[in-house]
Amino acid sequence: MLQTGNFSLVLLIQLTLLAYDLFVNSFSELLRGAPVIQLVLFIMQDIAILFNVIIILLMLFNTYVFQVGLVSLLLERFRGLLILSALYLTLSICFHCWVLNLRWFQSNRFIWTDGLQALFVFQRTAAVLYYYLYKRTAEYMGDPRLYEDSLWLRNIFARTRQ
Amino acid sequence: MPTVKSKKKKSKKEATDGEEGGGGVEGEVEEVTSRRRSDSRDPLTPEPLDPAPQKKKKKKRAPTIDLEAEHPDVPNGDMELEWEETAPVTRKTKRKKKAKATEQYCNDLDAEDDDIIADAPSPIPQHSLFSAPHGHSQPVGKVFVERNRRFQAERVEQLRHSEDDYMDPRQIWTTRDIALRVHSSFRVLGLFSHGFLAGYAVWNIIVVYVLAGEQMTTLQNLLQQYHLLAYPAQSLLYLLLAVSTVSAFDRVNLAKASMALRGFLTLDPAALASFLYFIALILSLSQQMTSDRINLYPTANETLWPPGSEQQILRPWMVVNLVVAMLVGLAWAVVSTRPDIDYTEEFLMTMEVEGYPRGEDNLDIPA
Repeated sequence: MLQTGNFSLVLLIQLTLLAYDLFVNSFSELLRGAPVIQLVLFIMQDIAILFNVIIILLMLFNTYVFQVGLVSLLLERFRGLLILSALYLTLSICFHCWVLNLRWFQSNRFIWTDGLQALFVFQRTAAVLYYYLYKRTAEYMGDPRLYEDSLWLRNIFARTRQ
Repeated sequence: MPTVKSKKKKSKKEATDGEEGGGGVEGEVEEVTSRRRSDSRDPLTPEPLDPAPQKKKKKKRAPTIDLEAEHPDVPNGDMELEWEETAPVTRKTKRKKKAKATEQYCNDLDAEDDDIIADAPSPIPQHSLFSAPHGHSQPVGKVFVERNRRFQAERVEQLRHSEDDYMDPRQIWTTRDIALRVHSSFRVLGLFSHGFLAGYAVWNIIVVYVLAGEQMTTLQNLLQQYHLLAYPAQSLLYLLLAVSTVSAFDRVNLAKASMALRGFLTLDPAALASFLYFIALILSLSQQMTSDRINLYPTANETLWPPGSEQQILRPWMVVNLVVAMLVGLAWAVVSTRPDIDYTEEFLMTMEVEGYPRGEDNLDIPA
């Protein structure tokens, strides 16, 4: 069974990483005085996304449902988040590489093209969807049914075996 | 809380063991024997023997406090309770002792003191030896609690109350409660964000139109005055829009597709607000290029701001900003009509192990 203290701590870490991500997405354009600042911010942002995905995967592996072997049930339920996280991470890395590449030698110049603008809109929109789904899933991981035997789980198990 | 109680019991046992097995035993034996001696002698020679028991009683007090220090997790109130429990036993044995000692005294009136001591310990029950002296075990209002490596006096009632206050919330809380609490906290943040965003967007567009002048005749003035604000305003707008959009999605429980679709079709306020915020977010993001262009106005060359191109660049930007302000204002008004709607919270409330039938319809939902 998941302990309350552990869950609180994990939730706090997850929300902190999300808050950092939101901060960088909002204000990284303002902090472009030196390209190295943006470089560090972007690297940390990508690592934060990766950490968040790792944490949610570890939490999934920790569930009783997973240990029983009903991986398909978990995948079905959390598929949206996993796909969107992968998409968001890819978009973020691409956008960061592109922006840094253009701004590396002259940080305060106009770099926007239609392609970059489109990538920017996609990345920021995916970010909002990612925040929503991640926060919801992180809260949903507190579901006690995922961590112990129950009638619900037995019925799912029986249905899967049929 | 059952675990705490068992701990308390355990610690109580330990404390008793400590009393029984610790160095206090000798002191107790001495105490009891001296007491017995003094009791038996009182009728004959009360005066000369009086100071001695007093001294020994004072000595006795120190070891008991040390015992408490050795077991800091034992609440002092419990120790006192224990003293109270053992007190009647002590009284009984004392009466016994007194009776026996008087008999013995009558028989061997001229016997030495040492002889009496040698015979005394055998008939006394083992338990009574380890009880605290009766005269000093009366519970007082104050107990000594170890805090910051120092003992501080505190009232028993306060201690009990503070313990209860500390223990109760932890006892009740589950992971589901924490998830619900985080969710409701974010809903409050989202509610604040909705209002702030609406006000900020309206203020922003008013400032822009005022600076642009009538029929946009003073666009140069707008660029000179507003270029410092353009990029921070855009960043803040994204931050607030992101928080508001997530909050609106939370309200409509977007991940549950059927419920969200039904909300959109029936023009549910939460669903409508989600839609409006999402459109506003995309429109706002699409103006990033123009915002950066305005931001770089002072350092601009002719390729960035060709002469006479201000109106062509700024007009769509102002219109889009106006639309964004109207959308977020409308979304805020819609949310304000029903601020209590939160389908995700209802969904989280169904997370119960026993509540299988209640949660059944939520089982196949991808998160």
